[in-house]
Amino acid sequence: MNPLTEALQISKLIKVVPRSRNLEALLLFFAAGLNAFEIAQIQLSILEKITTDLFTYWFPPIAFAFVLHLILRRRASEADPLILPIAVALNGLGIAMIYRLDLASIASGGAELFAVRQVMWTALAMAIAAIVISFVPSQLFLRRYVYVSMAVGIALLLLPLVPFIGTTINGATLWISFFGVTFQPGEIAKIALIIFFAGYLVNRKDSLAVVGRKILGVRIPRGRELGPILVIWLASIGVLVLQRDLGTSILYFGLFLVMIYVATGRAFYAGIGVAMLITGGLVASRVLDYVSRRFDSWLNPFDQENYDAVGGSYQIVQGIFGMANGGLFGTGLGGGVPQLVPLAESDFIISSLAEELGLIGFFAILALYFLLVARGLKVGFRHNDEFAKLMAVGFAFVIALQVFVVIGGVTRILPLTGLTTPLLAAGGSSLLANWIIIAMLLRLSDSAADRQAEVSIR
Amino acid sequence: MSELALFLVRTGFLVLLWIFIFSIISVIRADLFGQKVVSRVAQANVPAVFSSPGAAGATPTQQLDQKATKLVVTGGDKVGTEIALSGRQLSIGRAGDSDLIVDDEYASTHHAKLVFINGEWLIQDLDSTNGTFLEGQKVSTPQTVSMNAAVRIGQTTFELRA
Repeated sequence: MNPLTEALQISKLIKVVPRSRNLEALLLFFAAGLNAFEIAQIQLSILEKITTDLFTYWFPPIAFAFVLHLILRRRASEADPLILPIAVALNGLGIAMIYRLDLASIASGGAELFAVRQVMWTALAMAIAAIVISFVPSQLFLRRYVYVSMAVGIALLLLPLVPFIGTTINGATLWISFFGVTFQPGEIAKIALIIFFAGYLVNRKDSLAVVGRKILGVRIPRGRELGPILVIWLASIGVLVLQRDLGTSILYFGLFLVMIYVATGRAFYAGIGVAMLITGGLVASRVLDYVSRRFDSWLNPFDQENYDAVGGSYQIVQGIFGMANGGLFGTGLGGGVPQLVPLAESDFIISSLAEELGLIGFFAILALYFLLVARGLKVGFRHNDEFAKLMAVGFAFVIALQVFVVIGGVTRILPLTGLTTPLLAAGGSSLLANWIIIAMLLRLSDSAADRQAEVSIR
Repeated sequence: MSELALFLVRTGFLVLLWIFIFSIISVIRADLFGQKVVSRVAQANVPAVFSSPGAAGATPTQQLDQKATKLVVTGGDKVGTEIALSGRQLSIGRAGDSDLIVDDEYASTHHAKLVFINGEWLIQDLDSTNGTFLEGQKVSTPQTVSMNAAVRIGQTTFELRA
């Protein structure tokens, strides 16, 4: 026999069959059980009986999650087995909390219900994630659309500023609306921008990393390499000034900094970026009224003046009181009064959960996010392709950054900003964007394993 | 519902939530460390491993026909280790069941293997992440390993000797 074919045949024998999909199914059942438990617990403690609504809020997301799982079996059998169950667990926990707040709102005669909408958006978002997994064959496909992504990203960012369709809610011009449905195009823009950043940095990373004069032991890049950073910085400032949203502008700039740092490995960029961010923030806090009020509510929330002011620290303080009420073990789902906090179902969902699950539950949620981000970073670490590596880091980090900015805002580590807690908070655009991110991570983790030609989870 | 039942449900949920997290962590842990635990045992069971640094070339008995009889690790953590080339193939990687276990971040689980075919030892790279290098050249198709040629996997180098 030809030595080469013999060698290849032997190599086939030792290939390990992937067991990761079965593991994923097992963990999905676990997550599904947790979600059912949450809704049942809420119904027992508020309604004192279990109703058929349990099924309405529990089943559709789980059914779609299993459809996703089956698609992964066929289309991406080597994908990371932990990402999907974590995302489903977080999403279900969010739906349960939103349903719980709806029950409180029904009890006090409220009419606007969020949970049904959240379930519908979840189903839609998971369906779109399935489409992404099925039709994006690999990162090479996206590589062709790097500059298209840039154009799409910028267009989506600017869309809310277009008259007639742009909508301002709570002072921030981030939404578009048609036929009564509001949508936040900036959420989708961040995916397009990650693809663009990754493509751009892969082409430029060598000149960004190596070229430049050394001054006082620090290598200063040439002006033309600093250009793009300035452009992104100005765009972030533009979002801050024109759309009046602090969170989004921090998100875009932070994302770009992380990706440029990962691509070049040079602390210089991170340093100068943070300096620019702080300078921009300080100037904005002086010049822009709404930013200075945010800073004030952050630093002195318990001042009576700030507490009483419109758009003041009332919300933060209520959130803190809620978390204090929860204590270490929490009041139990359905046992607290999270509805006292304005926007308890979206921006402040984390304080609602912290009140009812306590510090122990709060840390569990943080651990879930941590594991999700760690898996995402691992996809980047394992992948051979530079472009895919950068994309995976970008996607993982965008989740981390949102969590940090939102939870940091609620717990007064940072000024409060208008980002959403990924997968938990009520809001269609954010769910859609985050599920697309999950789908991309799954897709990239499959192609990372392909090239590795081995299975690390056994 | 009674106070006690609510308390049990409440605590039960937190416990379940953390069990979920720890089952995820246990998967990651197996991924990171599980194979290492196995590898120590497997290593002890490989019968033909002699850990004798500096003993290279100390077996002059069967040098006449210039046939490779052993693999000698010349660089990396296991420098000095010798493995007798008794079988028809020898696997190299991080996996615990490898014949030569390389404990190295830059090595893959099943990294490469040596196969004895037509009187020659061939090295084949098993699509490893960081590649296998024969005399500094990346091995893409199976290559003949001649006597004393340096093969590098991650930070480990070895040679075949008589």
